[in-house]
Formats: sequence, C-alpha cells, structure tokens
Amino acid sequence: MRTAVLICPGRGTYGKAELGSLARHFADAGLLTQFDAVRTALGQETLTALDTAATYSMARHTRGDNASALIYACTLADAMSLKDLDIVAVTGNSMGWYSALACGGALTPMGGFQVVNTMGTLMQDSLIGGQVLYPFVGADWRDDPVAKAGLLALVVEIDARPDHTLALSINIGGMLVLGGNEAGLGAFEAAVPAQDRFPLRLQNHAAFHTRLQAPVAAQGRARLSPDLFGQPQKPLIDGRGHIWWPGAAETAALWEYTLGAQVIEPYDFTRAVATAAREFAPDLFIIAGPGTTLGGTVAQSLILANWRGMTCKNDFQTLQQNSPLLVSMGLPDQRASVT
Amino acid sequence: MDRADIVHDNFLRRVAARDFPAGRAPAGPLSAVDAAQIYRSACLTRALDRTSRAMQKAGQGFYTIGSSGHEGMAAVAAALRPTDMAFLHYRDAAFQLQRATQVPGQTPLWDMLLSFAASSEDPISGGRHKVLGSRALMIPPQTSTIASHLPKAVGAAYSIGAARRNRPEHAVLPDDAIILCSFGDASANHSTAQGAFNTAGWTSYQAIPLPLLFVCEDNGIGISTKTPKGWIEAGFSARPGLEYFACDGLDMFDAYRVAEQAALFVRTRRKPAFLHIRTIRLYGHAGADVPTTYLSRDEVEAEEAQDPLLQSVRLMDQAGVMTPDQALRIYTETGLRVARVADQAVTRPRLKTAQDVMGALIPPARICKPTNGPSPEVRAAAFGGDLKAMGDPQPMSRIVNWALTDLMLQHPEIVMMGEDVGRKGGVYGVTQKLTARFGAHRMIDTLLDEQSILGLAIGMAQNGFMPMPEVQFLAYLHNAEDQLRGEAATLSFFSNGQFTNPMVLRIAGLGYQKGFGGHFHNDNSLAVIRDIPGVVLAIPSTGAEAAMMLRECVRLAREEQRVVVFLEPIALYPMRDLHAEKDGAWMTRYPSPDRQIGFGEVGVTGQGANLAIVTYGNGHYISRQALPRIEAAGVEARIIDLRWLSPLPVAALLEAVKGCQRILIVDECRRTGGPAEGLMALLAEAGHSPSRITSEDSFIATGPAYAATMPSADSIAAAAIGGAV
Repeated sequence: MRTAVLICPGRGTYGKAELGSLARHFADAGLLTQFDAVRTALGQETLTALDTAATYSMARHTRGDNASALIYACTLADAMSLKDLDIVAVTGNSMGWYSALACGGALTPMGGFQVVNTMGTLMQDSLIGGQVLYPFVGADWRDDPVAKAGLLALVVEIDARPDHTLALSINIGGMLVLGGNEAGLGAFEAAVPAQDRFPLRLQNHAAFHTRLQAPVAAQGRARLSPDLFGQPQKPLIDGRGHIWWPGAAETAALWEYTLGAQVIEPYDFTRAVATAAREFAPDLFIIAGPGTTLGGTVAQSLILANWRGMTCKNDFQTLQQNSPLLVSMGLPDQRASVT
Repeated sequence: MDRADIVHDNFLRRVAARDFPAGRAPAGPLSAVDAAQIYRSACLTRALDRTSRAMQKAGQGFYTIGSSGHEGMAAVAAALRPTDMAFLHYRDAAFQLQRATQVPGQTPLWDMLLSFAASSEDPISGGRHKVLGSRALMIPPQTSTIASHLPKAVGAAYSIGAARRNRPEHAVLPDDAIILCSFGDASANHSTAQGAFNTAGWTSYQAIPLPLLFVCEDNGIGISTKTPKGWIEAGFSARPGLEYFACDGLDMFDAYRVAEQAALFVRTRRKPAFLHIRTIRLYGHAGADVPTTYLSRDEVEAEEAQDPLLQSVRLMDQAGVMTPDQALRIYTETGLRVARVADQAVTRPRLKTAQDVMGALIPPARICKPTNGPSPEVRAAAFGGDLKAMGDPQPMSRIVNWALTDLMLQHPEIVMMGEDVGRKGGVYGVTQKLTARFGAHRMIDTLLDEQSILGLAIGMAQNGFMPMPEVQFLAYLHNAEDQLRGEAATLSFFSNGQFTNPMVLRIAGLGYQKGFGGHFHNDNSLAVIRDIPGVVLAIPSTGAEAAMMLRECVRLAREEQRVVVFLEPIALYPMRDLHAEKDGAWMTRYPSPDRQIGFGEVGVTGQGANLAIVTYGNGHYISRQALPRIEAAGVEARIIDLRWLSPLPVAALLEAVKGCQRILIVDECRRTGGPAEGLMALLAEAGHSPSRITSEDSFIATGPAYAATMPSADSIAAAAIGGAV
C-alpha cells in the first residue's frame, strides 16, 4: 500500500473555482447538516448556503468566520474520501492545523468544526492586523538564504520603529507571510521591490501567528475546552515541525499549543513539511481541501529540505513527472489517483 | 543467523503469542502517555540498530555499535529536562531519541540515519563520525575513548553553581539544570572514570554544589569480559559524597520512577548521585562482534529472553497503556518507517576532501560583548602596591601575574584552576595574590588530579566560562593528555563547531632549572601537544612577551574559541640577568594592557645576514647569551624567537630568515620528536639548508648535570661560529 502524508490547507484556499466543492465531495450529508445546524444556531450562514452560492464574493466567502469553516469541511471531506493509502502522518498550514487535528483523530469531526469555527469567528470579530505575502526565492525556486535573512532583518528593523508592528507569521516554502499592523505592513510593502503580484496583501486575514493575536488566543482558550482534545490516531506534525504521536500525546499540552503558541508564534509550515519528509518518507504528499495554491509551497518546502535531492523547480517537475510525489486533491486528475 | 534477526523474530513471535518474560507489575508515577512515548523511542532505537547493520552490509553505513538492551535510558531521558546537558554513553540512542520528543521540531530519525551514513548533512558531526549528539538537545558529542567524558561532566556540573554567582556571557545552562553523564559498567573501572567519581565526591563532601547524575548502564559485560556480579553496587553504594540509586532498566516504570527520584535529589540538593541501571546487551558489542565466541549460547539466549521491549509490552498491557497488538503494530510500523527514511538518507552527500573533513577542526569565531576594561580606580584597587612597581623592569613570573590580573579584571568569565594556584599562588608564585584579588571562586585550588583539572576546564568552558587551567609541570600533563587530545581538541571537530571548549591551558615546563627537579620538573618534550590538530601552542621567553602573548591567547580562546596551550619556561620565571650578574638584561617592563603580540608573529633580534638562529623559550635566552661571542667572531647574526610552536608561524618565519646565508635551529627539546624536526622539514621544503642543535634523546638529570643533555650558549656559539653542526 502506498504511504502518504496528508496536508491540510490554510486560509485563502477556497476561491471562486471552489464553489460547490462541498456539494461535490462531502459524502457524509449527516455531518454537513450538523455543521450547518451549529452555524445556524450561532446566527451564521450555513456552509451549504455559502458553497452553493450563485456567485463568489470576496467579502462574504473570505471572511474568517466563513472561510475557515468552509475550508475545514472541504478538507475533512477529502480526507474521508482517500482510498488504498496508508496515511502515515497528518500536517497542515496555519488554520490547516485545526483540520489536521480532526483528520488525525485528535478532534472529532464536530470537535474540529467547533474549534475552527470558533477561532475563525474570533479572528474575524477581532481582525487584528493583517498579513502580507512575499517570496524570497526566484522563479527557479532555488533556496536563497541570504534573501530570506535580508527580509527577516527588514522585518526586525520595521518592527522596532515606533508604532510599527511586524513579525514573521508563516514560513511557507519559498515565501514569507508577515503579520503586523497597518503601519508595519505598509512600511514593508514600501521597502521591498514589487515582483509580479508581490508584496501581496491577503484580504480579510488578520496578523495570524503573531503576538497581536494574544487576545484571540485567550478567548479561544476560554471558549474551547481541553476536553475536546483526545489522542491522535495518526502522527500529527504541528507548526513547529513537532510530532504528536498516537497514544503519547499529552492532550492538555495539545490544547495549550493549539490555542496558545500556535496562535501567537510564527507557524513554520516549511519545517512541518520537512519533518513529514524526513521522519516519514512517504510515497506521496497529499494536499487535501479546496484549491490548488498550496502545491507550490509544499514543493518549495521539499526543495528547501533537499528532499530526494531536489534543489530547484525543475528538479521537482522532473520528479513529479516521472513518479508523482505530490497530489493536489483540488486537481481532478490527481484527485482521482487517491480516491 | 545474526543475533539481531533472532531477537527481532523472538519479539514478533512472543508478542503474538503473549509469551512475556516474568517481572514485576508496573508501578510508579510514569503516565500512560509517557510510557507510550518511551516505548516508541525504544522501538525506534531497535529499528535503527537493525537498520545500521543492514546499511553496513550494503556498504552504505559505517557504524554498528548498538543501543539494543539499553532502551531503559529512554525512561531516564523522560525523567530529565532537555536543558540538562547530557554526556552520553555510546549505547544511548534511546536517550537521545526520547529527548528529541521533548524539544519541538526535531527530526531524530533522519538525523541518526545521516550519522550512520556519514553524510555531511549529519547535523551533529557533519559526517565526520557517528556520534550521538545534538545542539538543540544539549547533548555534546562524545568520543568513544573509554570514560574520557566523565571529568568534563564534573566540570560542567561545577559550572552551574559557578554561573549562579558569576554568569558568563556565553553561558548555556539554566541555573537549575543538572548534568547527566552515562557510561557502561566496564567503563566505570577506568582510572579516568574513577578519578571523576572521586572528584565529584571530594567536591560534594565539601558541600560545594555539583548537580551531576552519573548513570552506570550495567549490562554485565565489557566486550568479552564480564563484570563481577555485584561489583558496581559494591563499589558505589557507599561512596562518600555520592548518593546511590538503583533501578531496573528493563522495566521502564521502575527506571522512570528511580531516575525521577535521582534527578530530583541532584536538582534540589545540588549534589552528585550515581544511578545504577540494569541493562542487557543484545547482539554483542558491535556488528563484527559475535558474542557466542566467548559466551555460551545458553547465556546469550537467557539475556535475549529478557528483551526490554518484551518487558515493556507486558508492562504496558498490565498498566492499560496499550494492548500487545497495538504495541506490535507500533514496532512493525516503526521498522517500516525507518527503512523508508533510510532509503533516502543514504542518498545524501558525504565528505570527500581533506578540506571537507578539516572544516571544523578550528571552531567558528563568536561575538563577545566589547569591554572597556576596569576603571582606573578598580584596577588600582586590584593591583594595590604592585602598581608602583610596574615602571621598573621585572622578571617574567611577576609580569605574568600582572597580565593575569589585568585579564581577569577585564573578563569576569576567566577562572583559573589547578594544584596550588589559589591560596599558595602557584609553585613559582605566578598566581600569587589572585585569590585575594578575585576570590576563591575564580581561583580554584583543585585536588591532585590533572584529568580533573582539565575536565573542570572543559566542562566550565562548555557553559561559557573562559578557563585558564594550570598544569603544574609539563611532565604532569602526560597522565591527563587525553583530556586535551581526545576531548578538548576534538569537540569542535565532532560537533561541526556547534560545541566548543575554549581555554588557555597554562603549563610550567621545559628544562634548565638549576638545582631543582630532574626530569619530572624539567620535561623538555612538546610532541604530545604539537601534533594535536587545532591546538595552539605558545611559548614566551621574556616577561613582556609573555604578557602580550597571553593577551593574544586569551583573545584566541574568547573570540575564536580556540584551545590554547601557553607553556611558560620555568627557568625563565625568575631570570633577571643575561650576560653578567646583576645586569638585569632579561627583565622587562610590564607592557600596557592594550599591547598584544599577534598569533603567528615572531620576534627578531638583530639584522645580521650571515646567520639566522631560529629558537624559542630557553633557547632564545641562551642564544642571546651566545650572541656577543658569535658577533665577535665576525658572524653577523639575527635571532628569531618563534613564540608560536604550533601551528608553526610559517609565513613570519620564512620572512624573518630571508636573506640569511645560514640557518641554525636551536631546540631545547629532544632531537627525536622535538620542534626542530618540523622546522628542518619546513625550511628544507622552502629551499633552505638549515642545521640544528637540540637536546639529546634523554631524560633530564637532577643535580650538577641538569643541563648536560641540552644546548648551551657554548654549543650554540660553537655551532654558529664553526658553521658545522
């Protein structure tokens, strides 16, 4: 049986093209009904309504309280649809960690929904700060540690300015996601050269994974009980590249991390992918959930880890062509290879 | 059939059949999740051992000393904190793998396989050697020289208490850390180990804090020689200053319970303890060792039947942690996982060139906070009446004392340790007044054991101190040489520069002492220092030179993290005169504290082009005595004082001899193995035809013949004037 690491996507992956994903892939109608019931009770629009909307609306679909739950549900549906695979570990990017907890069995599907919906709502209600995305690798995806160090030094310099807040939010392959207040983000955008669409401000995103989210983390801990968390059934790789092993996870510590450090400290997705590769060496890395935007960053993360000798985009493409390493479930042909 | 395969098959068969070895019921504070994690670490240890053998058979791995049977060390790791520095026995993969679960973001499997494969990406040694070790896990790598890591563990433990009082800029250990040091039952007999136990007890007996947990992993055999039954307990259960704990390493619950108690004792009482953990050795000593050649099959099989993994499955089942089926699944899945990862690890690059290998011989430089030094008032208070004497020429011993005073004023992380360095102020008075000036905590009078002195220095250096240990006489270095050669000098090499132990080791030595000593106090051999890669050897010959070189040596250690030996010629300590009684020509004034002599910079006296005398130490002194006679004979000479004996100052030396018709090397060390051999080769390779006079291949005598075997002003003059040596 093929081995695989399951990767759960973060925010920003449910776009226009993903409308109808739940309708297409969410096989457990009863579960979706339960999700919708919870949202209705909270006065939120149902996932079914959002997913079946006639048109995609940035304002509506990218709101934290909507996007998080949508992406979670799509991810969960995909995970449940996998066939003939030995899932050796589960990881995720940013809010994908909440999905990973559910896909890996540390949260029940409903528990995961409760966590993701609560945190998404809290983020949206607070919407403290924002995020900007900027690459440090070129078109060939070759590692450029000097460029990365230069950007991080700039972040430190801007953050030290009066009234400016800026910090690393996510290490995500060949890019950095920075979180900060308007002054901090603006200063960064003004300081770096424009490349294609970068620096790219992420709409409706708060300064996730920075100290600005401390109030959100505190509210999350107040609203979400440690009892929700159980032993993972699969090894879970978190945003530090740390592995939580089945049977060996302190669930109180898992709760503490998920609603503590995970929220207010940088999320190292690159390291999580490197850990997945180096500690599990799966045949496949499967990206669940809506969209196809995470594939490039997973590939970049593997290149940065020199996995299977890869050092650049061309290496990855060659490898992928000869014996596919990466499966994006958002791409129908690739999806078919694992479902 | 390989015993590793037999043990593997037995495990699969016996777990499936619920056929477990007998043992106690699980008891103690070990939680279910910790038990599960310890078991996972044990399974990973076992799978790695088997994989290392497979890799070696395939020509892809280069190390097979295993940890199987010692999996109980995972429970010991679980009882400690990952910030507790651990100096590990080479059978402690389980400890390291378990500790890796305590620090987020580790990839212990990948890292360990890279080390088996000797990949240059191995994060601890960079592919230089299979060692256990990790910077993130606070596990400095150890060589496999038996028990040689114990003295420095004592030093590291001592440093924790010292840092509470005087925290160095580069300290790495928390105030409440403890040190763990593990070793086998056979190693416990080694004199180096026994010295460390004694030093730990001696220190603790005086109520000096020493938070050190020795762990003796007693598998009952050292390669083929059995440890007498009960020997370890008999030897350690009632040792002064050392609290004894014993546990069964085949029982993770018992091991954790006792290790936790021992760690708590050490942490709260700040005293050393000895944890005696029962283990077994599966598969023999290493891959090539077949235990049935010296043990009966029954004995081997009886050990295997006690497999700690089988015990763990039984215990976890009884404790309700997991069922045997679940345990078997984890074992099997771990094996498959290790095999998959190994397939990738063996493809990673390896070291190729000499340059690759040597890349970490010299540690990386580190940034030290700038210091303005002491205020004039503080300095004046420290020096007291000595300040007035500074304007006058002084002998070397006094100037070295002042240089040490200024250095200790400037760098509070400097500590000195040695026999009689404190209260007495050294055999030759070089460290007099320093205890009064800086306190006993920075001037440590040690017990009589050079291994302990160097171990103390190495351990303290690993926690940010800048030790300046003293070995009282060069001849005394030899019984402790491995601490310099095998430990201090190799740390950067085996850790790819991630762990360092910078220090300036002061040694009083060389010959020419009138009326004192004989060989034991007049050793004239530098070979054991000069051939150690990466170690700097400096030898001054005048007081001013000593002060300025010592400052450079301290800079090399502090900023470039080098291990430096500063060898002070005893005969020159009190030397005042050069040519005639009371001429005072060998005394110098104390150079101002900002003056240094750079590493590799030689001293040149005279500009003569007929002859260059290349020398150092006492040889410099007697060459200068001979100089007037040489010049009177019409030979225009220059004298080159090498100062730096290892590495030799090649560029400066070749520049200094430029234009000279002849070169005469004057070497006070023995003809065989002395620096002259290297100098002859170096100069010959550069196109010169040097000649030499050296000491004879003899030990030095006591009494009137004290200098008979060594070069003299007469022999130098004769060689210089005669031209034929």
